[in-house]
Amino acid sequence: MPAQFRTARRCLALLAASAIVLAACAAPNKLLVLEWSGYEKPDFWTDFKTASPDTAVSFEFGISDADILAKMEGGSQADIFHFYTGWQQFYVDEGMVKEIDTSKLTNWDKVPDSFKKLGQVNGKQYYLPWDWGFTSILYNTDKVQGEITSWDALLDPKYAGHISMWDDGPAAVTVSAYIHGWDETKITDDQLAQIEAEWKAQKPLNLHYWTGEYDDLCPEVESGDIWVAYDWQGCYATVLYDGSQPVAYANPKEGRNSWVGLYGISSKTANYDLALKFLDDKLATLSCSNAVTQFYYGCANQDVMAAVDDPVLIKAFSLDDPSILEHTNFTPPVTAAQRDAWTEMWSRVKSE
Amino acid sequence: MLGRRGSLRFLAAPPFVWLTLLFILPLLMAIAISFRPHVGPISFVTGWDLSLLQYKKVVDSPSWLRLLGISIGMAFVIAAVATVLAFPIAYFLAFRARARAPIFLVLLLVPSATSFLLRVMAWKLLLGSNGAINSFLIWIGLIREPIGLLLYSQAAVIITLIYVWIPFAALPIYAALQRIDRSHLEAAADLGSGPWTRFYRVTVPLSFPGLVATFVMVFIPTIGEYVTPVLVGGTKGIMYGNLIQDFFTRAGNWPLGSALAVVMLGVTLLLVVVALRIVDLRRVVA
Amino acid sequence: MLVLLYLPIVLLAVFSLNNGTTLTFPLKGFTLTWYQAMVGDQALLGAARNSLVVATAAATAATALGFAVSQAVLRFRFTGRRLLLGLAGAPLVVPFVVLGVALFLLFTALGIPRSLLTIAAGHSVVALPYATLILLARMVGLDPALEEAAMDLGATYPVTLRRVIIPLLGPSLLSAWLTCFIVSFDEVALANFLAGGDPTFPVFLYGQLRFAQRLPVLIAMAVVLMIGTIILTLIANRLRSRD
Repeated sequence: MPAQFRTARRCLALLAASAIVLAACAAPNKLLVLEWSGYEKPDFWTDFKTASPDTAVSFEFGISDADILAKMEGGSQADIFHFYTGWQQFYVDEGMVKEIDTSKLTNWDKVPDSFKKLGQVNGKQYYLPWDWGFTSILYNTDKVQGEITSWDALLDPKYAGHISMWDDGPAAVTVSAYIHGWDETKITDDQLAQIEAEWKAQKPLNLHYWTGEYDDLCPEVESGDIWVAYDWQGCYATVLYDGSQPVAYANPKEGRNSWVGLYGISSKTANYDLALKFLDDKLATLSCSNAVTQFYYGCANQDVMAAVDDPVLIKAFSLDDPSILEHTNFTPPVTAAQRDAWTEMWSRVKSE
Repeated sequence: MLGRRGSLRFLAAPPFVWLTLLFILPLLMAIAISFRPHVGPISFVTGWDLSLLQYKKVVDSPSWLRLLGISIGMAFVIAAVATVLAFPIAYFLAFRARARAPIFLVLLLVPSATSFLLRVMAWKLLLGSNGAINSFLIWIGLIREPIGLLLYSQAAVIITLIYVWIPFAALPIYAALQRIDRSHLEAAADLGSGPWTRFYRVTVPLSFPGLVATFVMVFIPTIGEYVTPVLVGGTKGIMYGNLIQDFFTRAGNWPLGSALAVVMLGVTLLLVVVALRIVDLRRVVA
Repeated sequence: MLVLLYLPIVLLAVFSLNNGTTLTFPLKGFTLTWYQAMVGDQALLGAARNSLVVATAAATAATALGFAVSQAVLRFRFTGRRLLLGLAGAPLVVPFVVLGVALFLLFTALGIPRSLLTIAAGHSVVALPYATLILLARMVGLDPALEEAAMDLGATYPVTLRRVIIPLLGPSLLSAWLTCFIVSFDEVALANFLAGGDPTFPVFLYGQLRFAQRLPVLIAMAVVLMIGTIILTLIANRLRSRD
């Protein structure tokens, strides 16, 4: 019996060991993406889904750039995170992002150099640009007399009760900086105090501040309750398509704002290669053009943009105006002090 | 074998430990973090250079404290009106419904069993300019153009919350009324008092502790409300809870959000202490 | 006033059977589409299932702890007795948003990822006062002589607990459990801060409410859950009034 017993024990030990090895080796085919809501739609990463059907992709959501940053700082397990121009520096400074190995990307050559540059910090490629678009003023041409030519329309008492500003402090500072011709990166305390006073005065003019372009902004533009709104081009294209209201998208004399969405890979990820593959596949033709045709956001694959022939989309992205990007302003990087001062300023505006 | 001391330990230790870990410790944690000057990763190990910076910001922003006052005022109105409106329902159920009481109880439960969020949403749909009220009035030809938005105001928040709380408030009042000894009322009637006198000399005083308990049960959660204002409040219906929510979920400034939460906690507890001074809690419990 | 109480709910129920995505008159005809869509909506069903799991766990923990508190407080004299009673009631006077952010900070600092478990932990705390109050009210009416008799006859406390106290309290325990279950099932303010990637039904609803075209399906689900909740509440009430 002892011999048999020993064999049995050895078998058990072997089994246990192999179980441990298996558990360690079978790196779970899982990706967690910290996203803005709406982007989880499989159509926007369909190339990856097709190529890697056994990978479970799940999503965690943030509702602002500050929120995404806070979630990463709070120890989010996400492998990939998504944020917008202006917030590049923090992740690098706090060691939360891994460099993008562009040599492994098959779609990298389709990204315009100007976008690549926005994903660089300290001369290194930390981020992969993906979606892009404008910020300007969407307005109802039935209710608004004449053309809107300046950002100050958002603060115009003529439209009282029918304005909607995005619920975001840094965005409010940007708009004010455009109106006053101030350098966004060098807002002084006095200027910030003036900005606060102006937005406090603007507050009663809003129907409400919106939080999601397709959630609580667009339905009320379509119903005719909102006449003048801070908007990315998504709702503009939506209303052009459904024809519910006659709308225009302003070309303010101060210039539109432009933004680019950037993806970073968390320095904590155990699945770097898989994450990189996910991002590379997002740049592929189908995923990118789905973003353009279904979400009405631009995509960093320039072949996809060049192939756009739908008149509504051409209008929405101003593709018929080759100089459009020259008279738009990209959001410059913010500092931690500005970020806090601006969000606190906005909180005081909201509580007024 | 458990002795008597062992039994006590067996009973008292788990709730003590549970509440210390999941109630006291988190509140202490929030208080501690409110004294941290920096935004950034939160850990037990680093970042404990304490300062009063966040509280200085709170004091320097009168609009925040004013909003706390407004929120308390709104909660007071909501709790008072909901309690008063719930009283006749509970009274009817306890004294008039008799054999049909179980049916009426079900009727009362229907609204409280419907998702809180959907009941809030229902008001949004009712009040909106394309909402059920407007489209119904247009459909039957009473009006041509939708009447202006009833939505997105402080009043919309107050009305919606009163509506949401009424069924919830009616239940404890109903319980309190049921406990009233009918012989008191009969004695009063025998002594010659009319129905009104009986009502406000006997019924109301005897159910008063239940009314106070109901008021407090509505008042406290309403002070911290942030979900309803987001849905129906617009820019004018914002409450103090929204500021806290903003600093946690939108601005990512946890130390300042914690300071605002601590201020709210302090004020709420103060109000509870004052309330306990005015109303003898032992009577409420008994 | 009663009309106002029911109108919104009747409207919700009507629109869950209406053949249109917008909640406007005139009605577009009867349909069961939304209920069919509900049965096929994995995310929605998953959220409802999560709520069941969370509410079951939270109610069980809160009832067990509430039972322990009420037994300890009523049957024993000890230092810390008033403290324990006060502590068990204290979650009633702390606004949910405050407790929500406090628990959020604690879990973050400890590196505990947010999940259904963290929501259940939070709900067990806010449901505890309800369980304690319901059980205390019932236990005050119980004759302590029954337990004493059992102990005098040589039964240990655990045996007394199992053979005498719990059978006597049975219906109240179930009623307390159901009350806690309902408190947890519909709670969103706390759960919002404690939910990870896997939402409970109210958290899911909160995220989806603003998408107008999703509303009819959400309402259909809510109607189903409402009927379930009413049945549960009726059982709870029946049990309480039987004692």
